[in-house]
Amino acid sequence: MSRFERLSTDGGQLDGSGIDPASEVPQRTDIDATMEIYAKSIVTNEQVVLYENSKTLTKFTALLGQWLREKEDLLMRDLFASSVSYINCTGGTNGDQPSNISLNDVNNIESILLGNDARTMLVSIDAMNKFSTGPTRDSFIALCNTNLTQDLQRVTGVLLKNVYPAQEGLRPEEYCAISRFRFFVSSKGIKTPGISTLGRTVYSIPMYGLEAAAKIEQNNYTAVIGYRPPWVVSSVAQNSQLYAKFAIARAITNQNWVSGLNCTTFIAS
Amino acid sequence: MAFTILTGGTFLSTGAGVKINLPSSADYFRTWNITQLPLAPATGVVIGAEWFGQKFGLGASAANDGIRWKKLDSVNTTKVDTFGTATASNGFTYVTSNPVVEAQAANAITAITAASPGVVSQTNSYSDGDIIQFYGTTGMLQISGMNFQISSSSGSAYTLIGLRAAGFAAAATAGYTRRISKYAAVDPQFLYVTEITKATQAVVRCSVDPTAYYVVGMKVHFSVPASFGMYQMDQLTGTITALSAANYTMTVDIDSSAFSTFAFPTSALAATSKMFATVAPAGAKTSFDPLTNTQYGYDFQFQPFKSGQFVPYLYLSGGAQSPAGAASDQINWMAYKLEN
Repeated sequence: MSRFERLSTDGGQLDGSGIDPASEVPQRTDIDATMEIYAKSIVTNEQVVLYENSKTLTKFTALLGQWLREKEDLLMRDLFASSVSYINCTGGTNGDQPSNISLNDVNNIESILLGNDARTMLVSIDAMNKFSTGPTRDSFIALCNTNLTQDLQRVTGVLLKNVYPAQEGLRPEEYCAISRFRFFVSSKGIKTPGISTLGRTVYSIPMYGLEAAAKIEQNNYTAVIGYRPPWVVSSVAQNSQLYAKFAIARAITNQNWVSGLNCTTFIAS
Repeated sequence: MAFTILTGGTFLSTGAGVKINLPSSADYFRTWNITQLPLAPATGVVIGAEWFGQKFGLGASAANDGIRWKKLDSVNTTKVDTFGTATASNGFTYVTSNPVVEAQAANAITAITAASPGVVSQTNSYSDGDIIQFYGTTGMLQISGMNFQISSSSGSAYTLIGLRAAGFAAAATAGYTRRISKYAAVDPQFLYVTEITKATQAVVRCSVDPTAYYVVGMKVHFSVPASFGMYQMDQLTGTITALSAANYTMTVDIDSSAFSTFAFPTSALAATSKMFATVAPAGAKTSFDPLTNTQYGYDFQFQPFKSGQFVPYLYLSGGAQSPAGAASDQINWMAYKLEN
């Protein structure tokens, strides 16, 4: 995978002499990403099916589907946790380093992303004639741990998602909008216990724009949920097997378009 | 219950512990000490060992345990018991997750010198090359939360090659450390920057040895908060031209000669300054000439990308009375997995 860098904007004026401007060799940056394959299986015994009698295979398929998406999310989380430079929050008032999250800290990341010409991920939600609602601007994405929800509500200017003028298409994981970031929360969000100045848990919040990171799928080999029938799995045809398998390659495609905050919680955790 | 012999192998023991990677896990593991089997017995020498995985429920082997076949006396009698039985010796430990922060009590330090390199005074059991995370470093709060690789370690002190603390106002008088994993979940990972020279090719010092994570030719992206002085470096991307394992430095093709001086904020300012200065991987630069269809520059296949997704392994303790044997012992091993 690779990206082409911008061409130089220096010079280029034709001065009437008839001499062509020098051509420029495009610069390409290659991004190294290794394809990785993950899989999980569940074995079902025919007697369990009879005893359970409640669509076991359907349940197991759903479980594997959940595993597959959860695993993908964790893999992307690990990529963000390892490969992105984080900046400590300092605008909070809990006296720790990093501090709890504040509007100034969020705005600082916005400046960094805008200064690096990052593009927003989500379109704006227009204002409507509804009481107590407020429009959101086109936004970057921020991902954080569910333990930060109390602190997100304290940030100046926060728009909890119930006050967005339109609710169509919002994900359950979305929590709020602060400045030009829409925050999504997960119990699996990045955290490192005991490393703040006061020995508290530090939470990392990756914040990024369009095409900053990539989850690449291999041609003809993406996510598969499969079934191996009893006569294949077991010599007496009593066990069947369900499996999920997927291939993924992960990469930060442009460090300029991804940044993030380290913060602690206002109430110690 | 059908089983599969997943994999097997042999190694010549050095007397130290051995890690056997088991990416697909295992339910049963067996070793034989081929060297000791036919020799005149020495009491307690382990000639064979077995380990049972979680599938055996209450019968599974505990951490640092397993079944040992040992020589009992000079008439070559063999006794079978567990490694935990008196006289106990070290056995097998199955490790299934990456200890990002080790399950250990916070270890208190008594001082970090304001010198280059900084020297930490602490009663410890660390080894050279370990990576330590500091927090609550009273008097030197500007490094609180950073990771450092240690060297010249003794039971009472160690050196931080990556810390140039000579310019700091004061030494640290207290604080805590934890040992953390050397590898993040995905590599190459971001690193903490502790010094940047002013030069036509800036030399950047990291808190850990960068040669373990980056290679020459890689592009790197800097994040340097204004509180570190050299604000001009912030958000710049450069290419690594040289690396030094001895000094924990990398040279990049960024001309910093006219930049402001790089310096840590003071300890007092640390709580209100935007920290830290970091460097993160940004790919590898190549040129492609579409007229000749030729690619110049770095061969990205040399980049050290690896998924740090943890591979489970079985740790075989070393020593004459343990599964990995004494020095020069030939150990055969096999890993089994039950089919259902």
